[in-house]
Amino acid sequence: MTSLLRRHSREAALLSAIAALFLLPLFGVNGFYAVSTFRSLAIDNLPVLLAAAGMTLVIVAGQIDISIGSQFVVGGIAAGLLAKSGLPMPFVVLATIALGAVLGALNGLLVAAARIPAIIATLATMVLLRNGVLRATGGDWIQNLPAGFQWFGLPSGVAQVAYLAAAAALFGAFAWAMRNTSAGRAFYAVGCDHEAARRIGLNPSRQVVAAFAVLGVATAVAALLNFTRYPTIETNAGLGFELKVIAAVVVGGTAITGGRGSPIGTLLGVILLGSIGTVFTFLHVNPAWEKAIQGAILLVAVVADTAFRKESARG
Amino acid sequence: MVDKTSASAATPPGRPSAFARWLPNAEWVLLLVLLAEAVGFGLAHPRFLTLDNGFEIARLAAEVGLLAFGLTFVIKTGGIDLSVGSMMGLTAVTLGGAWSLGLPIWLAALLAVALGGAGGALHGLLITRLRVPPLIVTLGTFSLYRGLAEALTGGSVSYTGFPASFLALGQSYLAGWLPVQLVVVGLLFMLLWVLLQRTVFGRELGVIGHNPGGARFAGVSVASVTTRAYVLCGACAALAGVIYVSRIGQAKADAGLGYELTAIAAVVLGGTSINGGRGTLHGTLLGLLCLIVLQNGLRLAGQPSEIAGLLTGAVLIVAITASRFLFQSSARPAAADESLSNPDELTMKNSQLALLIAAILGGAALIAVSNVFLARSVTEAGSAAVQSARSASLPASAGATSVAAAKPPAVRTVVALTPKAKADPYFVSCKQGADAAAAELGVDLLWDAPTDPDPAKQTEIVEAWITRGVDVIAASCASPEALSSVLRKAQERGIKVISWDADAKSDARGFFVNQATAEGIGSTLADEGARLAGGKGRYAIITASLTDSNQNEWIKFIKARMAAAYPGMELAAVQPSDGQRDKAMTEARNIVRAYPDVKVIIAVAAPAVPGAAEALKQENRRDVKLTGLSVPSLCKSYVHDDWIQSIVLWNTQDLGYLTVRASAAVQDGTLKPGATSFSAGRLGSLKVEGDQILLGKPFIFNAANIDGFNF
Repeated sequence: MTSLLRRHSREAALLSAIAALFLLPLFGVNGFYAVSTFRSLAIDNLPVLLAAAGMTLVIVAGQIDISIGSQFVVGGIAAGLLAKSGLPMPFVVLATIALGAVLGALNGLLVAAARIPAIIATLATMVLLRNGVLRATGGDWIQNLPAGFQWFGLPSGVAQVAYLAAAAALFGAFAWAMRNTSAGRAFYAVGCDHEAARRIGLNPSRQVVAAFAVLGVATAVAALLNFTRYPTIETNAGLGFELKVIAAVVVGGTAITGGRGSPIGTLLGVILLGSIGTVFTFLHVNPAWEKAIQGAILLVAVVADTAFRKESARG
Repeated sequence: MVDKTSASAATPPGRPSAFARWLPNAEWVLLLVLLAEAVGFGLAHPRFLTLDNGFEIARLAAEVGLLAFGLTFVIKTGGIDLSVGSMMGLTAVTLGGAWSLGLPIWLAALLAVALGGAGGALHGLLITRLRVPPLIVTLGTFSLYRGLAEALTGGSVSYTGFPASFLALGQSYLAGWLPVQLVVVGLLFMLLWVLLQRTVFGRELGVIGHNPGGARFAGVSVASVTTRAYVLCGACAALAGVIYVSRIGQAKADAGLGYELTAIAAVVLGGTSINGGRGTLHGTLLGLLCLIVLQNGLRLAGQPSEIAGLLTGAVLIVAITASRFLFQSSARPAAADESLSNPDELTMKNSQLALLIAAILGGAALIAVSNVFLARSVTEAGSAAVQSARSASLPASAGATSVAAAKPPAVRTVVALTPKAKADPYFVSCKQGADAAAAELGVDLLWDAPTDPDPAKQTEIVEAWITRGVDVIAASCASPEALSSVLRKAQERGIKVISWDADAKSDARGFFVNQATAEGIGSTLADEGARLAGGKGRYAIITASLTDSNQNEWIKFIKARMAAAYPGMELAAVQPSDGQRDKAMTEARNIVRAYPDVKVIIAVAAPAVPGAAEALKQENRRDVKLTGLSVPSLCKSYVHDDWIQSIVLWNTQDLGYLTVRASAAVQDGTLKPGATSFSAGRLGSLKVEGDQILLGKPFIFNAANIDGFNF
């Protein structure tokens, strides 16, 4: 039992933090404990969760991608324009996902082939895509979308349940594959030690491109699940999305240096960081404090984890 | 790429050439880029290659420059500091707060810089003692510092009215031409240069970056040296915050938002390896200049800021790829020890040289193409005769300092409009009207602003217009305090200035095109809110970001009107949406659940109204009414389905139209101070009260009338 706890110290700490957070509204606030609260919390955080799953893979492979906020809005706009052009929704979905894969792979190529450090390469693509969107749309929202765009034409209640189910299935499959298949483990190997991975017959460059491409696909799916919640598309969306996602991954225990991390930790990180704002609104806390508290939680989480690791390494 | 051993065998032993010692990381690629920019922009605009503009570039580069200099030290150790922009916000607030509590201003500034150092020390402690990766530590403090700044001021407090002696630091010129902050930052640069390039401390930073373990064995006190680098970086960021406050004349929690990315880009472009070890301070300076000159040149040429953004991204990729491929050592980044071998591996193969030249030519071509493109877009609307008149006048105007002298009568009037934010649907619809008026009158319209409201970036755009020499500047001020000082400068240079949408200080502009006062908007929204709630009950407000000054102004008047006229109305909460629809939807949903007795929501940002409507629709809360300030086209369907009962706005297209009309009239002299009416084309005759041109009262859009509007 203790060894299990030790092995999953981060998950245990996160779970207790989440439990504490969700117990806070017990003190004097009505209306928090309703199925609908949790359902909409989940729906709101689905895009972050999916992108964070992809980001976990990229960070485990020893890289990082700060361009996903821009990729996110590009995905949304592409989906909107395609739907507007009369393409049936299933094709819109496929085309958007393909675009996501291309954008991701492009980042991967800049890193693996042009050898630009990931943070710089994706900084450049972040700026390029964001300004490209502004240039192309002039800030105008995309309107007059076909009726089948919002919620894929389903009633919103049905659609929400479908989105949750789809995201849960995707995330579950991804988490399982990442931990338990040799394809998934290869990313850990590359992130742990490039050279060692090469010697056992892996191609680190290909792995890096693949990781970025997977993140691109995840971000495109996230964009689809986010933007189809509305009848129009906001072209200024996704600002700061990358930081939300990276923070969740890091709080979830993935090592920024690569080689270590779990999708389950990421899930817990998304739940914790994604629920704070809502819980605080229910507690009637002044929203001016929200950002400071989020920063403090992130610092405390990583510091506590590092301290605990040191302790257990000694003991 | 060549193998490392053969490369070092090819390197002649002994002392590297002076060239290689000074510019070890292909910084000279940047020199060439800079040269290409200078030639390209110099050809494109006569005012670019003037001393005035040179100083202007340096002045605007001062703050990002300070961040970049500090970051060079940190990045050279293999670390990073994402929190520098947030630190600027925190120091701005500290400075303002300490001063308003009665501390002498310079002591407050000192306190702010000390705070920056302390923040850096915290980073150093967490990174060296607890071994938390720098990216994570500073990602945490990135939110923490900005969050503290917002929490301490509630986001909305801004400190202004600083003594003139302090404002001189960021606004005045020594001997009439040398910007004060340039002197400060220049001296500091020299000091830091010596520290990084010529002291043991500087060498140790590089050694740590190459190999921390090796550094320890070599007797370097890794923890203390690293910590000192972070302290230095924090203090530089704090000083940048102080200069920022002095330049724009107000201290607020949003100072330096997003600056960290430009600074990091400058450092990396300057040849400092993000993995640590390699890097020079003059390289950083070159990288910074490449980026800032690009921005300035494009602005002078009247190009919208997203073009500069696109080219910045392209330059980053091209320049770094080029310099990467020039070095065998960096061709295999996995092997960190390889980069340890001499910085002077400047042995180059012909193929590499060819690649380099191709890269430089590519960069130059990129810039040339963009110049042709922009030159064409500027003159597009003009007739051939006007064009020849313009080009004939160019040599005469080169080097002239007075704008009036540079303006031959045959040239079309250039009207420059800056909205508060370019990506805001509200301003997008204003632009449609502005374009229409420009076409009617045959004037050239420049339209530029930051993506999101940002007073510092907006002043930079106006500064570039002053240097460029436009005829009229019409500003919607993201912050009156910040914009007024630069608008006064424009007036001194003979440029006509009016304000629109959001007023400047009255001495900084001629007329104000007034669509509605903040009080008018606030009262109308309050009246609508109270009417929808039946005069009694709780209401909630969804704002843009907590630091947005216009929204804060409107909220103030909503509260005042509610308190005065509707004692039965009680405010439940003010929640921020950050100008994003997604967040507005979440906030609206939380409000109706957490405050179940809320009867009406007033949303005061254009994307927030449809966001809140979508939330009510999904929650199916017919009992909560929604009103706010937004653009009709975004809300139309919700208004028809009765999720939004009304929106309060004026005709935004007319506002843009009227602004351009008024600008042109001010320029050709038909609109003079003292006028009582103004004939504004399709709008007919409008009333002028004092120095305000009135568009009319705020308009209430509802299901009955909304279809009559197409913006």
